[in-house]
Amino acid sequence: MNAQPTVAPRRTWTSLGKTRLSDALRVVVLTAGAIVALIPVLWTLLGAFKSPTELAARPPTFLPDSWALTNFTEALTRFDFTTYLRNSVVVTIAATAITLAINSMAAYALAKYNFRGKTFLFVLTLATIMIPLQVILIPVYQVVAGLGLVNTLWGMIIPAAATPTGVFLLRQYMLSIPDELIEAARVDGSGEFRTFLRIVLPLCTPALAVVAIFSVMWRWNDFLWPLIVAQSSDVYTLPVALARFNAEETVPFNLILAMSVVSIVPVVIIYLFFQRQIATGIANTGGK
Amino acid sequence: MTTVAIPLALNRRKRAPWGLRLAPYLFLFPNMLIFGMFTVWPALNGFNMSLYASSNGRTFKPVGLGNYTTILTDAQFWSVARNTVVYAIAFVVLSTVLGIGLAVLIEAQKRFKVFFRSVFFIPVLISPVVVGLVWGWMLERKSGAVNTWLSWIGIGEVPWLVDNTWAMVSVVAVGIWMQVGFYMLILLAGLQAIDPTLYEAARMDGASAWTQFRSITLPMLQPSIVVVVVLATIHGFQSFDFIYTLTGGGPVGATMLIVQYIYENGFQSPIRYGIASAGGVLLFLVVFVITIINWLISRKREAV
Repeated sequence: MNAQPTVAPRRTWTSLGKTRLSDALRVVVLTAGAIVALIPVLWTLLGAFKSPTELAARPPTFLPDSWALTNFTEALTRFDFTTYLRNSVVVTIAATAITLAINSMAAYALAKYNFRGKTFLFVLTLATIMIPLQVILIPVYQVVAGLGLVNTLWGMIIPAAATPTGVFLLRQYMLSIPDELIEAARVDGSGEFRTFLRIVLPLCTPALAVVAIFSVMWRWNDFLWPLIVAQSSDVYTLPVALARFNAEETVPFNLILAMSVVSIVPVVIIYLFFQRQIATGIANTGGK
Repeated sequence: MTTVAIPLALNRRKRAPWGLRLAPYLFLFPNMLIFGMFTVWPALNGFNMSLYASSNGRTFKPVGLGNYTTILTDAQFWSVARNTVVYAIAFVVLSTVLGIGLAVLIEAQKRFKVFFRSVFFIPVLISPVVVGLVWGWMLERKSGAVNTWLSWIGIGEVPWLVDNTWAMVSVVAVGIWMQVGFYMLILLAGLQAIDPTLYEAARMDGASAWTQFRSITLPMLQPSIVVVVVLATIHGFQSFDFIYTLTGGGPVGATMLIVQYIYENGFQSPIRYGIASAGGVLLFLVVFVITIINWLISRKREAV
């Protein structure tokens, strides 16, 4: 659409009008779509500031009467949302740290060593992207129960830590690191693990960032697995607590909305900061 | 020291020292241990468990294919299977088409590209639990936000979550709302990889926008479309969390999908581990077969 300068003839009145019309139409369609994508998010945000009476109003009011944080403070003080929030943070951070550590080590082995069983292990890792948790729920639960990890945060942290996507992403990235660099470190007498830690890992920062962002998003929003592992309310994560209380109607809806906003904000902020990395990460792997 | 080390290193070429030979296995060990314990072993064990009956997870009674015959003669299973297939087909087709549409429109934008890309991706970031409960609130029949807004343009009260058919429509719509931004991003990356000179040549030949889309964009985008269809199929067959808070599977099981069936058999009384495991195996087989078919079709198209 921007090649007119070289070939002039078709710049008639109609074709120009048509281009402008289709441009305008496209913007209208995209804007309408953007509104549909954003309205529920904005509506939640507004709702989180409304009182129960405002939420019950018919027809629903648009803006809240006040922007006071009463719903947030009440949820955190009167109900145990501080505990659920802390559990979510602990699970997200611990799982992400473990994922980064073990995925990068495995990726390094698969990228930079030749050993027996290498292809088999790599293919096995990739193949399990097809076997998600939902399919093997019961047998995984059996293993976790056998280890006594039911109703603990570790039971949520460990099983999901060895993400195949993370191994794949990091391996692809590490392939681009020149072998000579590692060989030179070896010649200088650097041990294998030291080489990995001091030379390879710092070079992988962009890929590690992508894996970290993915891991944070997954663990923070995880539901089915924590729902099964968390059997008493002191180990609930935020999504588990929200789903349970929403179903039981034990917690007023204005507080549920406030806590929903608390669960949305961190990931959206992370995304807005790292959106370019996320886009390339998804483009490279198809994500998940 | 370095002068000695170099010939030594060359010597090692023949047979690496034990440290070097052992290193990759040590690097792999933690990941593969967790991976083996919580993915590979359970995947194998799942088949095994589907051949036993158990209501407590400790005592197992071998029943052969009994669980499968129980499931396949269970009316609830067939209703769940039908719901899952209806949901998955609607979800895959609509979200792929919509994803392509959004990606093409955004790619054609000169300005606000990043803005639109970010906006459409935001729903992907939100916890599915929150997505379900917020939409459930907005789709309430009386006084819900959506029905109120519709009434402004003269559309009467729609029984979104109360009527069986409308409930399925709502679940599909919310599922698409939540996931389409993810597919859009994959497709955008595919679009950006298309050589722009192809379009220039087509314009020289006077090809219309639609012809360009049909004969350049769609064929060149094929690899990304295959990825999206495969992922959407897997996502579609495994949807659970947002439905759990949106409709809870209701009204009377009209939106209950296979994962909820597995979850309820496995973790809500009466607990039937064997049935739940067999359900998992069936789900795996269906997704596996469809993925293979997708892959075969895409290979065939490439060959032509």
